Amino acid sequence: MDTQWPRWEVFKQDTPHKPHQAVGSVHAADPEHALLTARNVFARRPQAVSMWVARAEDIYAWTKEEIAQSQLLQAEHDRAYSPPSSPRKYLVFRKTSHKRSMTFVDHVGEVEARTPEEALAQAQTTFTDAEALAWWVVPADKVYQTDPSPDTIESWFAPAKDKTYKQQQFYATVGSHISKHKLGRGVEDDECC
Amino acid sequence: MTSAVKEALIAKLTALADDEVILAHRNSEWTGHGPILEEDIALANIVQDELGHATLWFGLRQQLDGSDPDRLAFFRDANEYRCCELVELPKGDWAFTMLRQYLFDLYEALWLEAARHSSYPPLADAVQKIIREERFHLQHTQAWVERLGQGTEESNRRLQQALDMQWGYAQQLFVPIPGEELLVAEGIVPDLARVKEGWLEHSTRHLQNAGLKLPINPGYQPTSRTYHTEHLWSILAEMQSTARWDAEAKVW
Repeated sequence: MDTQWPRWEVFKQDTPHKPHQAVGSVHAADPEHALLTARNVFARRPQAVSMWVARAEDIYAWTKEEIAQSQLLQAEHDRAYSPPSSPRKYLVFRKTSHKRSMTFVDHVGEVEARTPEEALAQAQTTFTDAEALAWWVVPADKVYQTDPSPDTIESWFAPAKDKTYKQQQFYATVGSHISKHKLGRGVEDDECC
Repeated sequence: MTSAVKEALIAKLTALADDEVILAHRNSEWTGHGPILEEDIALANIVQDELGHATLWFGLRQQLDGSDPDRLAFFRDANEYRCCELVELPKGDWAFTMLRQYLFDLYEALWLEAARHSSYPPLADAVQKIIREERFHLQHTQAWVERLGQGTEESNRRLQQALDMQWGYAQQLFVPIPGEELLVAEGIVPDLARVKEGWLEHSTRHLQNAGLKLPINPGYQPTSRTYHTEHLWSILAEMQSTARWDAEAKVW
């Protein structure tokens, strides 16, 4: 029996006017649990106002190279496959730079489509302001968000503002340079730092 | 503030801080041993928050009597500690730890809610800082109680065993310390009897919805914070050993 909990991708929004960005993943039993663990892992210190989670298996992802290679194949696939008739909403995420290390794709908007492939095609023609290195599309009803109420923002995200990262040097007795300790143990703080 | 009120407030702040310190240290034993990495991190976060709360309570005491928080935490003997016995109990399994944290978080969140309008401004200010984090803790631990209670036969059984053991101990959270009635009369701290009403109502509903049975016989209910379980001695021996090894140490 597989005892692993499913993997969820986590999207964090830093301020109300920034997009949700993929910041990493958590393992969790269900959507609420995923949001709780995501908050602990990704928003204890950095700024945040909202988080989304989606199960990794509900995310359809393509890199630029994969799209280039699969275009012919995809055309075949589309002909053979008859999509469900009613369109649904997909959230679209895009990666535009290799330079960023802490985030992967950014939320760029929504499209209405009958299949993930159709959503990708629409995304490619809709969001053209920058070159896409990778696309993610996720059915909107598979994305779970933190409660947007002020109470939740206050208890989930506001305390982080008072918790700054401390460099090792902050703890002078632990992190000060070795040369400061040449006089040996028991040196007074004002002399050694 | 009369000297009797001041003395009672110092004792109350000590009890509040000691509960946080010991529960935090107890839960820190899970660091590196959590059931999954995410929960390991989450519990370590809760631990750090609770230690932050203890720092605030000790800070308020320091304003009153000039005591050094680090001396209080690391150089007091067990018989000088004023924590409740619930927080001293060994960490047990994950169900035991999550249930205890839930019962404590619910008490703390309700107590803080009632203490928001304390007539003692430094305490009201501290409450504003703490209450935000406590609401998040409570959401996390009540989610765990629900999932373990409704999970498998084994998780329900383990949680029920934890409840049977802890229910009586938890009642001590609502036993006033000597002199607390002076603080209540001055509007400095809330009346624990009122807080207990809300706690019983919320906890009973949540525990029953999670498929648990409240113990018919609540078992041992500690009443005085001057008595402790034998576990307090061993946890303090570990927690205080580094500080006491070389009390004058300036560098590590």
